[in-house]
Amino acid sequence: MARDKLHVGLEIGTTKVCAVVAESRPNGELRLLGVGESPSRGVRKGEIVDFTNASKCVHDALADAEDRSDREIDKVWLGITGSHIKGFNHRNSAILPAEAEITDAEIEEVECKEQDLGIPKENHMLHSIIQRYYVDGQAGVIDPRGMLGSRLEADFHIIHGIANRIQNAIRCVKEFEIEVADVVVNSVASAQVVLNDHQKRAGALVVDIGGGTTDFLIYQDGAIRHSGVIAIGGDHITNDLCIGLRIPIARAEKLKIEEGSTEIDTIKANDRITLKNDTGFSGKEVDRRTLNLIIHARLHELLTILRKHVQEVVPEHLLGAGILLTGGCSQTKGIRELAESVFQGTPVNLAHAQSVSGPASAFENPQLSTCIGLTRYAQIVHSQLQQTSLFDSFFKQLGSKLKIV
Amino acid sequence: MITYPRWLENTADAPRLRLIGIGNAGVHIADRITRHTSFQLETFALNSDKQSLNSSSAGTRIALGPMTTHGLGAGGDSETGLEAAKESLKDILTAIDGADILMICAGLGGGTGGPTAALVAKLGKERGALPVAIITSPFRFEGRRRAAQAAEALTELKKHSDVIVHFENDRMADFSEPGQDAQKTFAACDELLAGAITTLACVAKGGGPLPVSLPDLISILRHSGDGCLFGSGSGEGDNRADLALEEALRSPLLDNGRLLKNGSEVLVNISGPSNIGFVEVAKIMQGVSSHTSDRTNLHLTLSVATNSDRLTVSLIGRTGIGELQHLPVRETAPAPQPALEEHKPNPKPPTQKIHQEDLPLEPIAKGRFVNSEPTIFEGEDLDIPTFIRRKLLN
Repeated sequence: MARDKLHVGLEIGTTKVCAVVAESRPNGELRLLGVGESPSRGVRKGEIVDFTNASKCVHDALADAEDRSDREIDKVWLGITGSHIKGFNHRNSAILPAEAEITDAEIEEVECKEQDLGIPKENHMLHSIIQRYYVDGQAGVIDPRGMLGSRLEADFHIIHGIANRIQNAIRCVKEFEIEVADVVVNSVASAQVVLNDHQKRAGALVVDIGGGTTDFLIYQDGAIRHSGVIAIGGDHITNDLCIGLRIPIARAEKLKIEEGSTEIDTIKANDRITLKNDTGFSGKEVDRRTLNLIIHARLHELLTILRKHVQEVVPEHLLGAGILLTGGCSQTKGIRELAESVFQGTPVNLAHAQSVSGPASAFENPQLSTCIGLTRYAQIVHSQLQQTSLFDSFFKQLGSKLKIV
Repeated sequence: MITYPRWLENTADAPRLRLIGIGNAGVHIADRITRHTSFQLETFALNSDKQSLNSSSAGTRIALGPMTTHGLGAGGDSETGLEAAKESLKDILTAIDGADILMICAGLGGGTGGPTAALVAKLGKERGALPVAIITSPFRFEGRRRAAQAAEALTELKKHSDVIVHFENDRMADFSEPGQDAQKTFAACDELLAGAITTLACVAKGGGPLPVSLPDLISILRHSGDGCLFGSGSGEGDNRADLALEEALRSPLLDNGRLLKNGSEVLVNISGPSNIGFVEVAKIMQGVSSHTSDRTNLHLTLSVATNSDRLTVSLIGRTGIGELQHLPVRETAPAPQPALEEHKPNPKPPTQKIHQEDLPLEPIAKGRFVNSEPTIFEGEDLDIPTFIRRKLLN
């Protein structure tokens, strides 16, 4: 297409609602045009709990994004998270008539149908992502089209969530007569910009520690192997500090961002931080060691839980490209070292969006990984649609079944 | 037509309830009920399979057709099953004689359960007892032959039994999460059934401030052979009424209350401690009626159980409005369902499911997350600061 294609990613996060406007250039480049942000209200642990307030924030963020990018937004790709989002692997198989050639029809037959998966009735399948095919038991087939076989099997990674909660997020956007092109799980979106093809093949764990949730996703052999959501994030650290240091939430948040660290051993006793007085707060001195201890305890626990989830599926030594931390909470000082001590022997790196152009302040900000990832996801879906323009009418179904590699 | 059971002529005595489990499935369900019920119930196990009988905990165990089947079961053949039952007619009569209400539970589709249940119902009715059949129909994936045998047995049962409570296994397994084992699904189905029977028995026994009369109960359940609505839940604390109702409506046999729209008769049984408030009863009834249609006939019974401080709501009904075939039955193999309670040595009544207790911590401990959905991992409430749970400070 000659015309540059506009993609907008929207994330209704726990700490902020953010919208990224990006355009896809004919040469495949993705350029960020503007980022709109609004502090979030009415979202807890990644899920909307106060619809009126949340939709106001969505409105503000979208308006801000329109201003900054000087483009009109009519369609967004919506990121979703929350503890109800679950991922699991599923193998489907189809018996073919003797020695038939495998065509699109056969491949469609082996695709996952929501009703066959045994996911609860109130849940909706968000993604069914192909991992690999098997033809007559021959493993590792990447594209079975044109091959002969009598049995076609396929492994899928299925991500599903509670339909009503997903609908609520969509309605939040539709209030303003803006279309939702598709709903994408946050971790899937983040991974598209944080990882390059090499890392996807070598095996990598992407951990997006946001305000309300920690979204993780494992790539192995170029396909999504596992994904999940842990409903713990930066909000929990703030809350812990609020309780542990007896300071107001707003001050705890500020203290966490300015002084927070996971270092304990190198901190001298009696190293104190003075909090200035403010309306309704008479100032306070807090012990730096206590501060760090609280943050360390929370993050150590979070990473330990994460490790348990990962180990159930993939031994760490198979993650050739190691662990990539992103999201707002990955800016905490010392988190990389802490993660390396939890995931013994696995390299841990901090990551932000790669292979996009635009203002560096935007794509180098790990808080925006998910949102930029949404625009990349949109770009990938569009480029595959152009290749198979015949299937344009199936756009809706295709969106969630495309092969993200 | 309904014939009035003998005991109605002499209402001074409470009716004598007898639970008869027939066939492998029936014996299994009867066992489960015996383990769970809090009140006295005479139980009988009837089976042609000696092995299943021997492991049963029923009060009286009767082997069917020792000469016909040699104690090896009917092998899924209904004719062998019927022959076996006829051979042991005398023994069956000992199970029926003297009972006022016969609760016959069986799984249709197999060799023993279906034909014997029909026979027991027939004999029971002839002797003035009220036969109440509680039956399950086989899973769709069990094949056409079993489905045909089940349909045949159901027609036969309808001739002899006024009250048929029919559970479709396909619907019961319709609440599932991927990756759970099949055994748990079957256990959960049994659990649901046991809950329904226990509730029925409780209601039939009467008592409490607002009992339902037996004729009423019969009219509610008569001809519910096409499908039964059932859900049960319990709750405690300030909003126990809401909790209990919500859990009851979540039953797969109610589909989040949607199926209540099709109910022509719905019985709501509320039981709990003596401090049940009128407001709570009104709230529950309001909640139920918001799901039912204008034509639904609602019945309320209230009973008091002193040994528990939980409030339990059970809904039993029969469909009549709309055809059950139009209801959403998913054509899936049952993927399994979280086990509720299984084989516990000292189980509570099945309507009282495991309840997650809150840790007795001061409310400040959760701060801003006090009202949000808890994040639980391996039994720990992660919303409580880690340093408090690990006791890191002081």
